[in-house]
Amino acid sequence: MKKDLKQKIGVYICECGGNISDYVDVEKVAKAVENEPGVYLVQTTMFTCSDSAQIEIIEGIKENNLDSMVVASCSPKLHLLTFRDVAKRAGLNQYNYVHANIREQCSWAHSDRTEEATDKAVRLVRAAIAKVRLSESLETIEIEAKNVAAIVGAGVSGLRSAIDLADQGTQVYLIERDHFVGGRTAQWGKLFPTNEDGKELVERLYKQIKERENITVFTGADIQSLDGSVGDFKLGVKISPRHITGACDEETSDQLYKVCPQETDDEFNFGLTKRKAIYKNYKNAYPENPVVDMDLCDKCGECLKVTNSNINLEQEAENITLNVGAILLNTGFDPYEPKDGEFGYKTIDNVITLPQFRRLLDMSNGSLEYNGKSIRDIAYIYCVGSRQPDGENKHCSRYCCTSAIQSALNVKSKYSDVRNFHINRGIRTYGKQETCYVDSTKQGDVYLQFFEKSFPTLEKIGDKTIITLNDALTDNETMEVSADLVVLVTGMVPRKEDTVAGILKVPIGSDKFYNEIHTKLRPVETVIDGIFIAGACQSPKNIRATMASTLSATAKANSLISTGKIELEPIIATIDTNLCEWCGKCDELCSYNAFEKVEIDGKMVAQVNKAICKGCGACAPICEVNAINIIGSSDEEVEVMIDAFVKDVQFIEDHKAKEAEKTVGKTDDTEKLKKALPEIGKKILQSLESEAKSVPEIAADIQHPADDVLYYLMSLRKYGFVKETGEINDDEYYLYELKQ
Amino acid sequence: MSLPINHIIGLLSDNLKLRKSVLPLSKNSITGWAKGLNIPKNGNTVLYTGHMYQLMPSIAFLGKIIGMLENSALNKTLGLGRFFNKIINVSMFITWPSRKMRNLYDKRLRNIAEMLTRSGVEYGYLYGKEMYTGALIYDMGVDDVFIKHAHRVYQLLKDNGVTSVITVDPHTTEMLRDIYPKFIKDYKLEVKSYLEVLNEVDIKLNNIPDKDVVMHDSCIYARGLDVLNQPVKILEKAGVNILDLNDSKKLTQCCGGPIESLFPAKSVEIAKKRVDQLNKNGCKEIVSMCPICLFNLQHAAENTEIQVKDISEYF
Amino acid sequence: MSKLNPDFILEFSTDEEFNPNACINCGTCSGLCPIGLDALPRKLSRYIVLGLEDKILEEKESYFQCLLCKLCVENCPTQVNISSNVRTARNYINRKIYKI
Ligand SMILES: Cc1cc2nc3c(=O)[nH]c(=O)nc-3n(C[C@H](O)[C@H](O)[C@H](O)COP(=O)(O)OP(=O)(O)OC[C@H]3O[C@@H](n4cnc5c(N)ncnc54)[C@H](O)[C@@H]3O)c2cc1C
Ligand code: SF4
Ligand code: SF4
Ligand code: SF4
Ligand code: SF4
Repeated sequence: MKKDLKQKIGVYICECGGNISDYVDVEKVAKAVENEPGVYLVQTTMFTCSDSAQIEIIEGIKENNLDSMVVASCSPKLHLLTFRDVAKRAGLNQYNYVHANIREQCSWAHSDRTEEATDKAVRLVRAAIAKVRLSESLETIEIEAKNVAAIVGAGVSGLRSAIDLADQGTQVYLIERDHFVGGRTAQWGKLFPTNEDGKELVERLYKQIKERENITVFTGADIQSLDGSVGDFKLGVKISPRHITGACDEETSDQLYKVCPQETDDEFNFGLTKRKAIYKNYKNAYPENPVVDMDLCDKCGECLKVTNSNINLEQEAENITLNVGAILLNTGFDPYEPKDGEFGYKTIDNVITLPQFRRLLDMSNGSLEYNGKSIRDIAYIYCVGSRQPDGENKHCSRYCCTSAIQSALNVKSKYSDVRNFHINRGIRTYGKQETCYVDSTKQGDVYLQFFEKSFPTLEKIGDKTIITLNDALTDNETMEVSADLVVLVTGMVPRKEDTVAGILKVPIGSDKFYNEIHTKLRPVETVIDGIFIAGACQSPKNIRATMASTLSATAKANSLISTGKIELEPIIATIDTNLCEWCGKCDELCSYNAFEKVEIDGKMVAQVNKAICKGCGACAPICEVNAINIIGSSDEEVEVMIDAFVKDVQFIEDHKAKEAEKTVGKTDDTEKLKKALPEIGKKILQSLESEAKSVPEIAADIQHPADDVLYYLMSLRKYGFVKETGEINDDEYYLYELKQ
Repeated sequence: MSLPINHIIGLLSDNLKLRKSVLPLSKNSITGWAKGLNIPKNGNTVLYTGHMYQLMPSIAFLGKIIGMLENSALNKTLGLGRFFNKIINVSMFITWPSRKMRNLYDKRLRNIAEMLTRSGVEYGYLYGKEMYTGALIYDMGVDDVFIKHAHRVYQLLKDNGVTSVITVDPHTTEMLRDIYPKFIKDYKLEVKSYLEVLNEVDIKLNNIPDKDVVMHDSCIYARGLDVLNQPVKILEKAGVNILDLNDSKKLTQCCGGPIESLFPAKSVEIAKKRVDQLNKNGCKEIVSMCPICLFNLQHAAENTEIQVKDISEYF
Repeated sequence: MSKLNPDFILEFSTDEEFNPNACINCGTCSGLCPIGLDALPRKLSRYIVLGLEDKILEEKESYFQCLLCKLCVENCPTQVNISSNVRTARNYINRKIYKI
């Protein structure tokens, strides 16, 4: 044995105010472990996590000069850090403390078998003691971190994040793939729920960006490569040029749009309009200068003739490397594009998507027209591309009910004779957005509802499209709605052209959006240290939710890199370079890419990047020469734990003997218990006297709700009054009978 | 075969239009109850009966006749009836309910009036000038006829200098308090139910019931006019024990009366259900506070040991 | 098969209180209504909202069966003025069908 064993171990067993001690006999546990090798002191406490108990433990450790400690209490998820802190305050190294979980794993899991729960607790505590004996003092790994962040995507999420990080003193690179910032928000015109204008929102944010010197904005910028790890990433970015080298005022821009002969569908308006090779997304888009789309430009040279155009068609793309401590992904979403023929999309000419309708509405002036025809009756078909029973998008896109209804409000306030028909699958205008729904019913909108088992069908007759559906709100009666325009309320899907995910190795969830570590507890961190996600790239979100996640990612990133150093857990994999022969299996297996191949003394071996390794242990068993050890879970440590765990526990045997002695007393107990039963318990027993019954049958017999019966029946089962017969009745319910 | 709704509504609304009441009765049967009470002929505050107690025996009687028609070929003649009704008052040909029954309803009005007087409330009565409010016609949705009539009633009150009325039934209260203002510009009238008035003064009951009672709240009082606790307090102050009931107060169930004239059979069915509900805890005495409820529940409780009383019978 | 007729409701909306559109189809009213008709009152409002004139004709008597007792109104989660809406419907039927 290579290590110095710990000699003075303190063991603290928690009662958790009855949560543990009602089922686990903590005194017995204390007795059973007091003679374990190395144990100096064993204490039971009512609430180990309470301040007073912590102080007592600290004083005890100091007084008795203990060298390590074991706490047996709740799950380490709850209080591991609490007791590490206790250890530190008592002058111990925090890794000379080992935790045993005797609440979730003993008292709660086995509340019906108290003796066995106690037995299991003894074994767990013994294993913890065996482990702590071998424990070593470890220091946390400290690495340097650049207080510089790269923010990928300059939608409202990225813009806001840049401003906040910059204000906290971080140097920010804002990397936008498009040539203009703002993302999708600028496309929607008036935004729910406040009717603010999307373009104005973007303008406000961009102006704040411009006021801050520690933000650099790159547009036309594409991530090419990533090296390094948290605190010290190296991000390769390719910057496409604008081809306009100096200021280009509005007048000049207008002239350029005029002379340029090359035309294509304008993506910003979802193909409703055309744009030239020289273009801006919209008039006040930022940055101010237009851009030349070289994929479209055939270098005819017309633009060069415009005075003061400052055009340079030969400008080259630039590759740069950014050295940053953290990366925030804010790359947003795409609207769902229906398949050809899906609800008449592209096959019926007055069927458009909600994003198109938002653009149409934003651009319309004086009259509402589509394809040259004026529009009065608008039908909205909901959940297109979301909540698909058969397709792959199972999610609800969350924004669209509200957006469709807000569109109906907007269109009606602009053109009062319009009539709206909402053909939905249940309206989800949650939270404050519900007021949109209420307002829409007040303005006379009509709601019809279909179920996923029968989708509406569309047919064009004359100028009108007739939508036929079974209206669930009118007894599934077949109903025909005639509309001048059909708006498909399309959902949000992940970006189709996603170049970053592959390069950055961000995990993708089953819904294809970027995945966080834990939906509830760690919603903006990814499994890769130093890479955060926020906004609609993570899941469908409206702007409010986008901002909430953005600000939390920003705060997380700031707390990680702002001090210039990062502390990491020392519990990681280590390589015995004497044994390692570099077969590369560990490298293939590691999900985090923590292994590197290095040369040591003329031999190729594996090396673990301390900043990347999570200590998950997946690699250890794969190594054929056993060169990998996980600190804190070495083979030796695991073996002694197993030994300690399987050792006999004496008192159980004693107890069984005693039980056998007093069988008479036992029946007394049952009689007493029986008397103390609540009325319904007695009725259940009575009802079972004649024959075995299922829960519904008992319920019908004694005239009590079935859920009550189930609850009391389970108590009766626990106390040994009834048992299941093992059979089921015709309705497939289990039968219960009296236990003799 | 169901009833020709159109003809019944037509007949009733023609009557209101031509004869100012859905069922024009003789002056004597409208004002007879007040004989000998010496109520002043005018005053700023008047007791406004709205004819509901007086009409009830006749309307109910009509209901019975219609009920007989409901399943007979005779109901076709109602159309003819409506035609003639425009020329002569067809109601005159209907055999009226017994004098005895009318006396009972009159007695309730007398009780209310006497109780008000005994408790020191001052009020007048418009006698023959008083008009039905048109409640039934409003409920049937004949708005144009109703609106004209409402103006007539309001004009009458204004002409007689009335600024405040005490009503005796929920329907009249609702009309004068909540419905008229919707149709009449600058409408100003203080409207209180006698239950609200009596609740504010000291009163003494002469006929305190000797057993526990259960309350049948009027739908309109309870849900529309917030007359909820006043009747309870009036009885409780006199020491009457009122049994609790789930389907009461704001969740009270209708007596079925409002559809008496169009769907008599259904109306009785609902009334029977309500009596059963009221009798749930075995209580044998039901207190009502609306002549329609009173009649309908009594009708449903016929041939049982359950008694239905108007609250005024305790006065 | 029924055809939606959005113009129909315009003939009804004389009354400010007339708000069948606010109905969320929860069914509370139909469950409580002492009349116990399948159509009363939820479906009757629905027919008006959708402008299903045939259905309204079919059910015209049901509109007159309502007691105007407001039990439904008291319990409606979205404050639909059900009984007042029924009255508005009666007015329509009187005018258009019964010619009163
Ligand atoms: C029709 C419609 C109407 C809506 N209306 C409203 C509304 O009224 N109110 C509301 O609150 N919400 C609304 N939303 C939701 C709103 O659009 C989103 O919440 C918001 O756009 C999310 O912001 P974001 O910054 O996360 O993503 P985005 O707006 O999508 O921005 C992402 C940015 O990242 C850039 N990018 C993407 N990939 C890369 C890459 N690889 N490298 C660099 N940059 C990249 C994109 O070019 C873009 O600029 C609506 C959504 C739709 C579809
Ligand atoms: S060179 Fe290109 S950008 Fe310039 S005008 Fe020709 S097509 Fe347009
Ligand atoms: S928000 Fe509404 S329209 Fe969008 S997917 Fe969810 S339920 Fe469907
Ligand atoms: S209770 Fe109200 S919301 Fe519910 S179905 Fe009836 S009217 Fe509609
Ligand atoms: S008001 Fe009419 S619809 Fe409503 S519960 Fe009463 S009878 Fe039924």
